[in-house]
Amino acid sequence: MIPERQEELAALHAFDLLEGAEKAAFESELSNSPELRSLTASFSADAVNLTLAAPQIEPPSGLKVRVMAACGAARSNAPTAPASNVVAFPLLRVAPWAAAAVLAVTAAWFARQAVALRDENTSLRTERQLAEVAYKMAQSQLKERSLLAESMINDLGNKLRRSEDLAHLKVTALASLAGNTKEAQVIAVWDPQQQTGLLTMEKLPAIADTQDYQIWIVDPAYPNPVNGGVFHIDSDGRVALPFKPDQPVAKAAAFAISLEKKGGVPKAEGPIILLGK
Amino acid sequence: MVLPSPSVRRRPSVSARLTMDDPTTPNQDELARLQAGLLHAMARGDKGALAQLYDSLAKPLYSLAYRVLNDASEAQDIVQDVFVQMWTKSATYDTSRGSVFGWAATLTRNRAIDRVRMRKRRAELLAESAPDLQPAPPAGEGDSAASLWIQEKAGAVRTALSQLAPDQKKAIELAFFSGLTQQEIAEKLSEPLGTIKARIRRGLLKLRESLPSRL
Repeated sequence: MIPERQEELAALHAFDLLEGAEKAAFESELSNSPELRSLTASFSADAVNLTLAAPQIEPPSGLKVRVMAACGAARSNAPTAPASNVVAFPLLRVAPWAAAAVLAVTAAWFARQAVALRDENTSLRTERQLAEVAYKMAQSQLKERSLLAESMINDLGNKLRRSEDLAHLKVTALASLAGNTKEAQVIAVWDPQQQTGLLTMEKLPAIADTQDYQIWIVDPAYPNPVNGGVFHIDSDGRVALPFKPDQPVAKAAAFAISLEKKGGVPKAEGPIILLGK
Repeated sequence: MVLPSPSVRRRPSVSARLTMDDPTTPNQDELARLQAGLLHAMARGDKGALAQLYDSLAKPLYSLAYRVLNDASEAQDIVQDVFVQMWTKSATYDTSRGSVFGWAATLTRNRAIDRVRMRKRRAELLAESAPDLQPAPPAGEGDSAASLWIQEKAGAVRTALSQLAPDQKKAIELAFFSGLTQQEIAEKLSEPLGTIKARIRRGLLKLRESLPSRL
């Protein structure tokens, strides 16, 4: 006698309605019970008969040809079937073409992407080159401007230095004190830092060969004027004469020119003919 | 039609009666033997036997597939797959394990239900699946012995089904044709799972009582 529960499971098994653990457990019971196996087989046969409960419909007329062709293509059990009867399943026939089409479309897409990327790459490279040129030009201009600015700064510096140097110079026009030197024009320029001076003279009267003009620099630090050297005028009276005192001059308060005997004297003896402060 | 297989040639009259030469309906055992003979011939590569078995089984198998799938194109695919499988596996068929019809019907139902389950459209199927049997369309080949056999057997099955209680009949039909699980059948019929299991068991027992004496 088979229990009701097992009958129930056998019925469900006949309809393939058992799943998972329930199915495994029932199949285990089946293997141990010939009676249950017999009942299950009987239920399965009855269930199969339900096939005929479906409304009977004639299959389409082309289905037989299709089935015969498909069986012909199944070579494993049809060794005598001629190769010409082999008709591949439509999907399998189409699959390689579909794969080829997909491959072609993919390849075309990649090619298009590659061209687009190449164009973009070329464009970027050109832009980079232009940017490099612009950078070099700007660098060059900056360098030029820098050099120009440096040159201007140097010029300004030089000018400044010159003006500073000039500011240190003492320029004095000497006036005539004697009647024969009224037209004489003498200018003394003194550089206290260098302790040198320059004397420019015009229309200074010529003197005898036994006489010399002598330059004197008046410095309050000394009781007597400091000797600046002698010079001689021959004919035209135009002279540009550098001079240097024989003692350091702290402050050149005035410049004077006297007429002395040839070779000059340590201390002024002759007449002062020109004087300037 | 003459079959090249010697085993079938020994009984040419039976082979002919299976198709359309003789409208007399053969009995169940004779048909089962004939179908088994055709299968053995197929195992030797006899395409004529395949054609004859197709003529014998295509209609009920196609009707079953169509009933489960409700789709003519898919039903044709299923029938084609089943015959290809029978063609390639015919050498492994063992008569002790059941009739050729039973094997073919089981293959058809399993494949059809697999498709139904693969569709993943259970909600749609719940709405579409009709538990009641549709009226049988007129038979297309009334003079075929195989068709007569199918008609007779189908009539017996329908009669047996009609003798079931309506709730048992619905449960049995859903269990066989719908591809639904036990739980889904219970949900569709708004009954507890235990009730559904009991209805299937009682329905199948009653069918068992009715069918053997008639088939």
